[in-house]
Amino acid sequence: MIEVANVTKIHARGETKVAALSDVSCQFATGSFTFVVGPSGSGKSTLLHLIGALEIPTSGEIKIDERSLTEFDSRQRNEYRRKEIGFVFQNFNLISNLNALDNVLVPFLPKGVTTGQRQQASDLLDQVGLAKRHEHRPHQLSGGEQQRVAIARAILKNPTLILADEPTGELDSKTGQEVFGYLRKLHSEKGTTVIVVTHDERYFLDTDRIVRLEDGRVVDSSSKGD
Amino acid sequence: MRSLLSLLGLTVAIAGMVGLFSVAEGLDYTVNRTFEQIPGLTVMQPGAPVPLFSKLPASWEKEIQEIDGVGVVNAQVVQRISQINGKAMISPPRLLFGTEISTRLELKKDVYGSHLVAGRFFTRNDRGTNHVIVSQQIADQLQITIGDTFDIENQEVELIGIYNTKLSLLDVAVMIDIDSARRMTRYDVTSVSCFYLEKSDETIADEELSQRITARFQNRPLEKWNPSQSASELSGFESHSFTTNVVTMLFRWLSSFTARQVAAPTNIEAKSQSPQKTKRSNSLGEKSSPIEVRTTDDWGARIDEFSQDLNLFLTVLTGIGMTIAVLSIVNTMLMSVSERIVEFGVLKANGWSAGDVMKLIAFESALLGFSGGICGIALGWIATQVINSQWPDRLQLFASPELLLFSVVFSTSMGILGGLYPAIWAMRMPPMVAIRRS
Repeated sequence: MIEVANVTKIHARGETKVAALSDVSCQFATGSFTFVVGPSGSGKSTLLHLIGALEIPTSGEIKIDERSLTEFDSRQRNEYRRKEIGFVFQNFNLISNLNALDNVLVPFLPKGVTTGQRQQASDLLDQVGLAKRHEHRPHQLSGGEQQRVAIARAILKNPTLILADEPTGELDSKTGQEVFGYLRKLHSEKGTTVIVVTHDERYFLDTDRIVRLEDGRVVDSSSKGD
Repeated sequence: MRSLLSLLGLTVAIAGMVGLFSVAEGLDYTVNRTFEQIPGLTVMQPGAPVPLFSKLPASWEKEIQEIDGVGVVNAQVVQRISQINGKAMISPPRLLFGTEISTRLELKKDVYGSHLVAGRFFTRNDRGTNHVIVSQQIADQLQITIGDTFDIENQEVELIGIYNTKLSLLDVAVMIDIDSARRMTRYDVTSVSCFYLEKSDETIADEELSQRITARFQNRPLEKWNPSQSASELSGFESHSFTTNVVTMLFRWLSSFTARQVAAPTNIEAKSQSPQKTKRSNSLGEKSSPIEVRTTDDWGARIDEFSQDLNLFLTVLTGIGMTIAVLSIVNTMLMSVSERIVEFGVLKANGWSAGDVMKLIAFESALLGFSGGICGIALGWIATQVINSQWPDRLQLFASPELLLFSVVFSTSMGILGGLYPAIWAMRMPPMVAIRRS
């Protein structure tokens, strides 16, 4: 269970302070598939980053299975991101001078990659349809292929939580469907909690939970089927 | 591309560093090898930097010979040659080296005799003749062979032997009988430049023998060497030859060094801390002694001090080059980090710690420094070899393994230092701040 309680996040840009989230509270059940929606600037991505410990809330508390993220030190935050979270970004965010296989293995590079992990990464790339693209660098891959590498990178660590920020934002609808197919498969097969920020409501299912934000506040939290 | 340019900048800086320090090392190497070949003691006028500027009574030879522990005493007259075959000898310098042939033949170790490559060495029959022995370098320059005649100071001499020590400080000598040298240069027949002597008993310490000789001549009247008189002699050495210039600089330095000591021996004594300096100041500090005995160690200590001064000068020059190289690395790494800051944010988002990111950047800059060091020493070493082979009689540069190793370590350290600031900058940046830059 992910519990977001009275979280406020203020971004300081020089003298100007902008409240991205204001006193937001919501919950994400373990094993749920949740979409966070809302207009641009409503704080969707900020909420995702806070849950992923990429940012620290200005006030409030976020708990992951009863552990308070705000009380984590930097080492614990690194470990949390490395072991429990899989990020999928809108613009893929692959490392340009690494090939597809090494990009999948990125989380494990500092500690050393085992043969098992390399084999697993290779299998994952095969599963997302990139069997012949292991040695290709990002600039040699299409947008859809890059996003599939990013998904393989997120899946390899066998995370308990996938955070996807506009994962189909730069893809055509067919490729977007494929990407959601992988996320759905991971969710259904492994029970991974998935939180997706998107504008595109075409991918919603009745069982999905929807958290709607406006102006940094939660205005609705319900199931698609409600 | 930026990394390549930075690598190039570092390579040039390190190559320059190797080149500059190889000048000092080359001088050290040459001087050390030179004095290895001349193990005896040299009796000279106090304060004179080298035998060329020294003058002693010839009659003291017998008295020196009588001192217990002295073996062979060889009187020498050293004069600069101004003309050979009517042409001015400016660069490289040529010295007429008059030697007493009879005692020369008694020396256990003769650097010129042992490096003869053509013709013959002197015999007693060469006394009073104009027979000369020259270096291979001089023979090549004058294009002469054994049996040829040529003019020195407008007087005809005959070549009977060619030596080749391959040492630029020694290969400048035209050897001739001492009396012939005096006649040709109108040198005072009652004087010599110096006495070179070998010990009769190798168990006697150089310092002990030196003190015995100095004591023997205590309170004898003799005009002290005047530093100003060297100015005219040195002016003849001005040239475009690098080695000559360095040697001239060395002579000037020795002149100023000895001049200071002659002027204020008590200060030198007070300041001297090392055994070498103390030993030297003892011999010079004998105010009433009209001679100075130079041992191999004395020469070595003086050259070392000169070399240290030269090294200081070269260090300043190298420092300027290295500062530019380090700034270049910092700039490169800063630009490189700026361009990849999003990637570092992604790495952090995937669980890399700030330390992991810092290690990565530090490793990259160290690799840049190491690569620059390797390329730099390779370029520097090749340059010294090319220069030495192109001007063998004028330049002797030497890049020792220690210098090459130091250069690589130094370059790697500079690389790490240059990458440190960009690494800290990237390390401190929160992951989302970095990722948002995309």
